[in-house]
Parts: sequence; C-alpha cells; structure tokens
Amino acid sequence: MRWLTDPITTPYMQRALVAVALLGVAGGLLGAWIVLRRLAFFAHAAGSATFPGLVVAGPWGIAPPVAALGAGLAFAGLLSRLTRRAGTGADAATGLLLAAALALGSVLASDVYPSGAGVDSLLFGTLLGVSDRDLWLAGGVAGLALFASAALARTWLATGFDPSGAPALGLDAARGDRLLLVLLAATVVATLPAVGALLVSTLLVVPAATARLLSGSLRTLLVVGVALAVAEGVVGLLLAYHLNLPPGPAIAVVGGGLFACVLTARTIARPREVVA
Amino acid sequence: MEILHSALLQRALLEVVVLGAACGALGVWLLHLRHAYAAESLAHAMLPGLVLASLAGVPLVLGAGGGVLVAAALIALAARDRSVGSEIAVAITVTTAFGLGAMLALAPHVPARLGDLLFGDLLGATTGDIAIACGLAALIAAALALGHRQLTLAVFDPVAARSLGGRPERVELALLALLAVAVVAAVQGLGNLLVFALLVAPAAAAMRLATSVRAQLALGSALGSLAGLLGMIASAELSTAAGASVALAAVALFTIALLLRPGSADRAPRRSAIEALSARR
Amino acid sequence: MNVSPPARARIEVSGLAASYAQGPSALRDVTFSALGGQAIAVLGPNGGGKTTLFRALLGEIAVVAGSVAIDGPTAYVPQTERARLDFPVSALDVALMGAYARTPWYRRVAENDRRLALDALARVGLEDRPRERFGALSGGQRQRALIARALVQDARVLLLDEPFAGVDRISEGAIMEMFDGLRAEGRILLIATHDIEQARRWDRVLCLAGAQIAYGPPATTLSTEVLKATYGAEIVVLEDGTRAIAVQHHDHEH
Repeated sequence: MRWLTDPITTPYMQRALVAVALLGVAGGLLGAWIVLRRLAFFAHAAGSATFPGLVVAGPWGIAPPVAALGAGLAFAGLLSRLTRRAGTGADAATGLLLAAALALGSVLASDVYPSGAGVDSLLFGTLLGVSDRDLWLAGGVAGLALFASAALARTWLATGFDPSGAPALGLDAARGDRLLLVLLAATVVATLPAVGALLVSTLLVVPAATARLLSGSLRTLLVVGVALAVAEGVVGLLLAYHLNLPPGPAIAVVGGGLFACVLTARTIARPREVVA
Repeated sequence: MEILHSALLQRALLEVVVLGAACGALGVWLLHLRHAYAAESLAHAMLPGLVLASLAGVPLVLGAGGGVLVAAALIALAARDRSVGSEIAVAITVTTAFGLGAMLALAPHVPARLGDLLFGDLLGATTGDIAIACGLAALIAAALALGHRQLTLAVFDPVAARSLGGRPERVELALLALLAVAVVAAVQGLGNLLVFALLVAPAAAAMRLATSVRAQLALGSALGSLAGLLGMIASAELSTAAGASVALAAVALFTIALLLRPGSADRAPRRSAIEALSARR
Repeated sequence: MNVSPPARARIEVSGLAASYAQGPSALRDVTFSALGGQAIAVLGPNGGGKTTLFRALLGEIAVVAGSVAIDGPTAYVPQTERARLDFPVSALDVALMGAYARTPWYRRVAENDRRLALDALARVGLEDRPRERFGALSGGQRQRALIARALVQDARVLLLDEPFAGVDRISEGAIMEMFDGLRAEGRILLIATHDIEQARRWDRVLCLAGAQIAYGPPATTLSTEVLKATYGAEIVVLEDGTRAIAVQHHDHEH
C-alpha cells in the first residue's frame, strides 16, 4: 500500500489531491453541460487561449489566475465579435483565436523562458506549488458549479433542446447561457494549475463523455460525471507522482483509457446502438 | 537584411513558403466543410507518434504519419457510437493522445525535445525536410485540382451529390487524408501546435476577400506564402522564434482582412451566445 | 433549344422501404410508376417520408427493401433556404454541376457542356445573370438555377422539394410554365408538397405517412378517408367535404 500512503502523507500532494478532487466536482458537473451543449471545442480552445496570459503573469507581476482570466475573457470576447458581428463561422473563429493565442504565447515564452524549462508547467500542469489561492479557487468553482447546476439545470436543458422555445416556457435563455459561459471560464481558469492550458479537457470533457455512455438521465450524468472526474483526477495524480510527470498528461491517459474500456464494453454489449 | 545572407534562413524560408501555399489552399476547403476542429485535433493527436519517432531516431515524418493514421482510426471508431458523436470522439482521442505524447516526452531520462515538437524547429530544416515539404505540397496541390468538382459537390449539395456523380463520404475521407499530409509536412518546421495557424488563418482571410471559390483558393495560397515570408523576415530581424512568427504573421494577415471587410453579419438569424459558439455542422 | 427532347422517361418503384443509417424504417411499402410527361404530387405531413423518398431515389440513403428503376439521371431541386448560401458559386457554376457526372475526374468540363449550361440558364430566364452568386439570388431565381442544373443533367426524373414555398406569384407562374415545358419534353416531375390544394393540380398524387397510403389521380385518390389516414388527426375538412386543409406543426426536423 506504499504506493498510496507515500503520496497521501506528503504535504504538497495532500494539497494537490484536495485541489483535484474539488476540480473534479466542478469539471464533472460542468462537463455534462459542455457535452450536451456541444462546447467541447470551445472549452479546449478557451483553455489553450489562456497560455499567453500565463506566460506574462510572472514578468508582469500579475497573479496567474487573473492573467489567465484576462486572456480567457479576451478570447471569448473576440470570438463573440467574430461570430456575431463579422460573420465568421464558429468553427473557423475558434480555430483562428486558438492558433493566435498559441503563437502569441510561444513568441512571448521564447522571451520569458529562453531555456523552455518553465513552459511545461504552464502547458501541462504541476503537482508542486498548489497555493492556498488555488485551493480557494477550486473550492469556489466547485461550489458555484453545484449551485448553478441546481438552479439553472432546467433552463440549460430546455435551451439546449429547443433554443427558440425556451422563452415561451418562461425561461431567460440568454441570461442562462451567459452564466454558463462565465462558469465555464471560471472553471477553466481554476483547472489550469492542475492540468495545464492544453489539457483542460481531461477534467472538463472526458469524464462527462464517459459518463454519458453510462447514463440515461441528466441526474445520472451529473453524478457519474463527478464521480469519474474525481476518480480520474486522483488516480492520475498518483500516477504522476510515481512516474515523476506533470499531472495533466497522466490524468489524460487515465481518462482516455477508461473511456476506451467503457466504449468497448458498451459496443460488445449493445451493438445495435452503433450508427454506421 | 540578415535573411539575404544566411543559407540556413533561406532554406527555412523556402520550406515555409511552399508549405504556406499548400496549407492556404487546403484550409479554404477545410473551412467550407467546417472541419477546423478536426484539423486542430489531428495535429495535436500525432504527438505520440512524433515523440516515438524522435526517440527512435526515425524521420519525424514517419512518426507523424503513423500517429495521424492511428488517431483518425480511433476517432472514426469512437464516433460511430450514437452517444458519442464526432465532436466528443475528436475531443477524447486528441486529449488522450496529446497527453500520452507529453507523458512520453516528459518522462525523466528521455532526450526528446518536447519544445521543438510542440513549436517546431524551422531553422533546423534540412534539405531532406525541404524536399519532403515540396513533394507533399505538390501532392496536395494536385489532389485539390483534380478533386475540385467533388469538393464543390460535397460542400454545396451533399444530398444530390450522388446523382451528380459525387461521392461525399469519400471526399470527407480524402480531405482528412490531405489534412494529415499537410500537417505531417509542416510539423517539423512549425510544430504540432502552430501548424494549425497556417491552415486556418490565410484561408479565413482569403474567404473574406474573394468572391469565388477559385479566387479564394488562389488568394489563400498567396496569403499562406506571404505569411511564411513575413514571419521569417520578422523572426530574423527581431530574433523571435521562427515558427511562432510565421503563425503570428498568418493571424496578422487575417486581422488585416477583417479590418478591410469588417462585417457580413445578419445573414444568420439572431442566436444565443452558446448556439453561436457550439459546434454545429 | 440545344437539349434534344429525350425519349419518354419511366420510373417504377416497387415495395420500396428505406431507412437512415441503422435506424428504424423511415419509409415503407412504396409502390408506384409513372411515365414521362406526368407530374406527381408527393403529399404528406412533415416527417412523413417525402424527403426520405427523394433521398432514396437519389441513392443518398439505403434502400432496405424493394426496387427502384429509373431510366436515366435523377435531378434534385431542394429547398434552398437550407442550402449553403454562403458558398461562393455562381448561377453558371451551379448549372455546370449537371455535367459533373459525365466528366471524368482528370478532365475539365467540356466546352459543349458549358454551352449547354448557358442555354439552360437562358431557358429558365437567368441568362442575364450567369456570374451572379447563387446565394445572392432570390428564392425563385435559386429554384430556377437548380432547374437549369437538372436540364444540364438531362434528368429524366426531377425531384422538387416544395418548389412553390415562399415564392411570389409572378415567379410561381414562371415556374409553372417551366414545369409544363419539362413535361412536354417527356420528363417526370415528382413534386413534394404539404399543400393539399396544390396537389390536386397534378396528374397523380402519392400520399405518404411513413408508408404509402394511396396513389392515383387526385380526384379519386384524395378522399376524406385517405386524407385522414395521411394526416392523422391534423386534417380539417371544410365546407362540403371537397376542400381540406392540413394543420402544419412547427418544424422540428431531425
């Protein structure tokens, strides 16, 4: 059992484990909506878009979450303008901004981190240095996600199913959507220290997608999604500890492996669900 | 100007100009068929292949090719399940593959330079790399020329395509294959993360400025090459990373196009923010 | 007119069933036949199988039972509101698509076919705007461009999806004239509609509601029973029973 007791008794790992558990709650809940409302590409792009912010945070003396949030909001704002005012397709606009953010980040990084050493933790997360602030952020986002999911589930579900019909049901679709996007942005920023800018999908998309294969109802999807996100986060973290790797890739591999197992089992059990 | 004196820079310039031309044209079709997400994802998903090739000392092209094939196959498999769908299949395959690649590259005692794989090593381009880039670019150009009518049908009228001699499913596959070829060609110079910029930005700029498909293709090519040229000059003069400078130049060209033709909104009905952002085909 | 009138077309469909991917049967038991010069209304509620039938006849979705025999090309004239209006092709480009099937992949479109396309555009009244972007044309003009495409295809059977939806009176008259011309050339027209009164104008009517309900001349086929079976509870029969309206729901297409 040493593979378990060693990390658990190490202070920095304890913090990391708590953080990832909280992020799993937020990610599992939000992930359900990301999957249902088809926001996977957007979520991934939003995460990657924070990269330039993270790079300049240190040199400019800004707290990383603030810089990341700034970059993320700039991304969302530009995306909104491009798709609504300038008539660019969502697909193209998201891709463009993503490419721009990565390019900008790498140009800045070659200046700030000439040896390339510190960039890894920005891109893939780190086990070390989970600060109090990171924990508060994780806890706050988890709490927000729980509250918002409870309060807005009906609105989000109805809007996703039939956007034009939602107002007739007495639901404020526009406000609900804005809140969803804000929550998504906050969650993305909170997960950055743990998994890095390029792999926010490991907590925000993959567990929920796996949960979807196992769930028939929204409630099950939310519960299973949270359970899987927390489990994958913890197992991934332990793996990262023992293999001396950043946590993002480890969690990604765990999550992907689990999805593959579930999908295979499901395909064997229910071949008729396949759409050729 | 420094670039006029250095054979190293000239080689890199040649490679990136050729790649820019091919990617610019290909990108136009990718955007019309709404495959930007697939494009970015294939580029990411080949990372394990690149790492393994780098570790084995094999040309990156082979690793890239293998990685792309595996990724595309996995995506196709996962997307067949009704509860998964293609967007999720792509998300999962890419995240896992990318994570696996990073795991392999960052494991201690591994000499693979992850930074080069992610952001490219344009200045390290050998003559062999350039030859490959030119060959693959020619392949893409030929395929786009010969497949022009098929592509047109697949975009404009997929339902009637068969009755007009088209095969839309094959077109989708072929386009993804070409995409793989382009990414494989460009990955050595621009890296896994930045190749996407050259595929999307010049094409998006061309689509704003040109009013027929042929014009868009020609302009996309020209802008792609121009991005390569401007990026290399900027990199040489300002001492910034070459690949990233090319990517930024491409984005800058799009921004200029955007300023020249600011709007074409309000053809589409008003939609909620999420509807506008989410992946709809 | 450079398109020489074809010999009389024929279409025979027997026991056709079709479905989307591996889903349940979207359409069953369709049996009808027609000869060139005839126009057939395909009538039914939304989701009842009209579009499914067309896609099966075009070979775009799988036929799971029965047979289809059409001697020659089939052309599709879809509703253009849902088309890719942002794709920058001109009216001439669209007409030229009709020649794609007979152009080998390694050759350019033949000069002869280019002339055919221009003639077709002239015939549908678009000769003064061949280079205009398809997306910039009006609804009626887009329909006509697609009919020009069908002419270039030399289609024997034309599948028209609600050709009069959202078209103004003047264009409607022009389109009707065109239809008469197409029929005079021996082509077959299948016209999908949910407008019962419009269906009465044509030679035959095919009633679909997931399966074939009836097929025959409108006068004898569009009885109250048939209409009730086609539209279920959505039918409203007016006046003395000879006129009926179908209640159309808000369209939640799959």
